[in-house]
Amino acid sequence: MALLNRSEWYDIARDTNWTPSYVGVEDIFPDEMSDAFGLSLDQWNAYDEPFKISYREYVQVQSRKDADAYSVKAALARSNFYDNAHPGWQSILKMHFGALVLLEYNAVIAEAKMARFAKAPGMRNMATFGSMDELRHAQIQLYFAHENVSKSRQFDWAIKCFHTQNWAAVAGRAMIDDLCLGRDAATMSIMLTFALEQGFTNLQFLGLAADAAEVGDYSFSNLISSVQTDEARHAQIGTAALKVLIANGKKEQAQRAVDIAFWRNWRMFMTLTGPAIDYLTPLEKRHQSFKEFVHEFIVAQFERSLEDLGLDKPWYWDLFLRTVDYFHHSGHLELWFVRQTLFWNPSAGVSPPERAWLEEKYPGWGEKWGRMWDVVGQNAIEGRDDKVFPKTFPVLCNVCGTSSGGIPYNGYHQGHWTDHGDGRRYYFCSAPCKWIFDVDPKRYLGHLSITDRLLAGQILPPTVEGALQYMGIHPGERGADADDYAWAHQCAAVSPSQTKVPHGNLATGL
Amino acid sequence: MTDVSPTESLKPLRTWSHLAGQRKRPSEYEIVTINTLFRANEREALELASDVPMNRWYKRHRAESRLQHDDWNAFRDPDAVTYRAYCTERDRDEVYVDGLLEQYAAQRHDAGLPADWVDRLAALYTPCRYLFHTTQMTSAYAVVMAPASPVVNCAVFQMGDAFRWLSRVAYRTAELGKTYPQSGFGKQERARWEGAAEWQGFREMMERLLATYDWGESLIALNCVALPAVDVALQQLKQDAVARNDGLTRFLIEAQLGNSARRTRWMQAFLGFISQRPENGAFVREVLGRWGPYGDRAVQAYGDAFGAGRGAEAVVAQEEARPRMP
Repeated sequence: MALLNRSEWYDIARDTNWTPSYVGVEDIFPDEMSDAFGLSLDQWNAYDEPFKISYREYVQVQSRKDADAYSVKAALARSNFYDNAHPGWQSILKMHFGALVLLEYNAVIAEAKMARFAKAPGMRNMATFGSMDELRHAQIQLYFAHENVSKSRQFDWAIKCFHTQNWAAVAGRAMIDDLCLGRDAATMSIMLTFALEQGFTNLQFLGLAADAAEVGDYSFSNLISSVQTDEARHAQIGTAALKVLIANGKKEQAQRAVDIAFWRNWRMFMTLTGPAIDYLTPLEKRHQSFKEFVHEFIVAQFERSLEDLGLDKPWYWDLFLRTVDYFHHSGHLELWFVRQTLFWNPSAGVSPPERAWLEEKYPGWGEKWGRMWDVVGQNAIEGRDDKVFPKTFPVLCNVCGTSSGGIPYNGYHQGHWTDHGDGRRYYFCSAPCKWIFDVDPKRYLGHLSITDRLLAGQILPPTVEGALQYMGIHPGERGADADDYAWAHQCAAVSPSQTKVPHGNLATGL
Repeated sequence: MTDVSPTESLKPLRTWSHLAGQRKRPSEYEIVTINTLFRANEREALELASDVPMNRWYKRHRAESRLQHDDWNAFRDPDAVTYRAYCTERDRDEVYVDGLLEQYAAQRHDAGLPADWVDRLAALYTPCRYLFHTTQMTSAYAVVMAPASPVVNCAVFQMGDAFRWLSRVAYRTAELGKTYPQSGFGKQERARWEGAAEWQGFREMMERLLATYDWGESLIALNCVALPAVDVALQQLKQDAVARNDGLTRFLIEAQLGNSARRTRWMQAFLGFISQRPENGAFVREVLGRWGPYGDRAVQAYGDAFGAGRGAEAVVAQEEARPRMP
């Protein structure tokens, strides 16, 4: 006789709900930790995870994947790829590791919260793997990033970033805490695995792995592909949860969770991935614009997922589609301006051929952002540091923690705020972030963005240098223009008239 | 890091800045394990309003716990287990278990078991999946609550091990059910867990433990009382499996106890680590005093099912199985 098939015993392993009697069900599964939707243990018994794997299969598959990823790295260790890589790609690596790796570790904890508090046994088991997966993602990526610490102090931010009060760390923590640990297990399964992982990171990793292969970074490409395969599995936890919730009359609440999480993810995604694809990736290696990527993968896939479940598109869907054209262009310009706060060196990405590419992909780009870069370039050539570095920091959204991302020259103004009962005016980047706040203000009350802290006198001295110190980013770590303004000189050489614009001052933000 | 002068330009180091001060070159374990858990700031765990339930939860059950240490990141797992080491080792362990299952299946082992022993497996072995699942859940809680990554990660692997044995028991439940469709395998475990006398001590302990949210009390009660009690119960079952010529159950339990030894090692190191702060000793004693009786009742009730005096033997055995403060 051979071994039993998994299907012959799998259901027994997820038949583990029982009726406690020494304490109450609510003592073991308090609503605030388990299920804001208020379904019973029996209702959750219907949960059926679509991707089934046993522990035995898990350790076998995972140990092989690890052996592959680590051995490719070892084989390519002497290739000196990093030293000869395009500066834009070097920046993408630093950004990726610093902005992401410890968030993966945070997901170890978040998945464990589902493994402990979810009322569905299948979810508890899948989240047990999910937690282990996330530990893999944190550890393997730290190991890869560590290889480069002796090459640039900025790689130290792979582990340092989220221990600081850097604005990017504050925004990253605010997002992940609002979607994951700050929610009950059921809501988290929707926000983390359905909206974040299935909606964004799973697809983002596919794109990133392809880009890495394109630039010749095979070690990193292989790493990201390997991580993505885990993600594709545990990202399905939320889909199964949504089915149970919808079947039990909770569609409206579930829809709200989806809407909140998608927007929060989108803001973070456009802030980092938008500039990475459209400005940092070497021009000759770009096979798709950020907009094309979003439409082909994020939009099409997410719309299909929603339809399959019988959910609606988020109420702000039309606005979302419009913002794909502009959020990240303004976001990139703002990031470049506050580059001293970054742990990577942003390429401006606006040399003449890059501008031509941007104009082709985003007709009208030159009229909006090109004109602004003209001013920046001229100031850079003239060595006007007072105009190419910020004098202060932009207003940051009191939900997402990033700046406006509005369209320049169209009368943009900070038009979203709420005067709350605590006497404070809260500002938002957009109508959906304001909506998220208004749905449940007590989640965000009292929280101060970096700019709020500056204005509240918590950062001393209240100067840019004081704020950089407060953010824990020191000389030797601070971002600088990746090309030392070469793009500005190229632009001036190609079209001297292009730079003949009045001295503007973009240093105070858009 | 805030004491760096603004004019000094930081140079690349050979390792993470937080490990650069160590005398020894950091190991792979340290590079990927230490200092990976972050919090919003000194006061709050999460970057949300102070009053968000989970911020209050962390404050009440972790920040205000009596189990404290000035530098949790200084803890080191004595086995220095990383994710890749864990999966590689457990894959090997599972190859061994697959081999056992295949070999015994080929010998039609189950068909040769005495009828009363089959009943005993149905009563005392296959309901274990509920017990193991409660330890999986409680270990998951330690992952959620532990204050620093070197401790969190030990709990992650412990959670994985609990799920490992839940899975193997589920497998055996299905397999025994094929040979003995009338014996209730796969059908009666829940009723036994909820009602049979031999399980009520364990169930009471685990339900109360699941409803105990102070992170220190939960972890110490789990690893110093509840899981050692589970080990003792398994030892007893193994002892009888040997006597009844049930080699498969015997070897499966031996393999499982190998995982327990790993847990005991990290817990022993953990107790040594927390003993650097004298107040923790009093706390641990208090927790053991509170939970010890639950462990005693659990193994007593379970052991009595094997015959007169076996429960009392188990109570003595588990006293010895508990990790201790140095």
